[in-house]
Amino acid sequence: MIGLEREEQTGIDFADLVREHQSMVFSLSYHFLHDRELAEEVAQEVFLGLHRHMGDIKSGEHAVFWLRKVAAQRSIDAARRRKRRPQVALEEVAEPAARAAVYDPLLGELLRRLVETLPETPRMVMVMRYQEDLAPAEIAALLEMPVATVKSHLQRSLALLREKLERRGVGGY
Amino acid sequence: MDWLEQELRQALERKDPPPDFAARVAHATRVDSAAGSGRLVRVWPRWLPVAAAVLLMAGGAAYREHRGRVAKERVMVAMRITADQLNHIQARVREAKP
Repeated sequence: MIGLEREEQTGIDFADLVREHQSMVFSLSYHFLHDRELAEEVAQEVFLGLHRHMGDIKSGEHAVFWLRKVAAQRSIDAARRRKRRPQVALEEVAEPAARAAVYDPLLGELLRRLVETLPETPRMVMVMRYQEDLAPAEIAALLEMPVATVKSHLQRSLALLREKLERRGVGGY
Repeated sequence: MDWLEQELRQALERKDPPPDFAARVAHATRVDSAAGSGRLVRVWPRWLPVAAAVLLMAGGAAYREHRGRVAKERVMVAMRITADQLNHIQARVREAKP
């Protein structure tokens, strides 16, 4: 009942927010955790949290900001709770034979797994940058860190991925 | 943007959750709301634990007193029986004397 009153006040419908942003929240968690089941749990927790805080949500943009921020926090918490090594070691990841002109699903999977091996903060920065196409300033606001730190994480992560790919004979294009 | 960033953008593109995800979220919010209102109903007054402790202590004291009374009555009955038996034995001894 309280939720309905809040929706009337803000004009934002909770069910619409879920429909519109479920793939964003789920993907942020999935690309960070690389675990579909856990990502579903985290995404559900995030929306449950949004439902409880609907009274604080002022606009659609605010809801998106809130969802991204809480999805990042909950995903990091879930990764810490899980406290286990990546399921597949980097050495076991299949290597694509050659880079195709069109999107190569094997290379995509390799990249996802390489991203998964990054430490928590740079990993979340990378997911926000390349999944959500967010600018460093937006990422900095979400993760509450200086813009320079975000840029530094991006540069170092890209350099690390490039190096690992080249070592596997995938880079150099 | 170089090739690696383009590949990353494709590798990390959004994915859809299972088709029943929205329905499961709706169900979870209903359960959460019901549990929340239930919690409000079940809120107990602060004085209740203190009152329960006082009642338990008073009950314990009354029970101990009751058990003491019962034990005392039993001792009294046993003493009366013993006295009767002693009187009876004493009478027999007197009768037996020449």
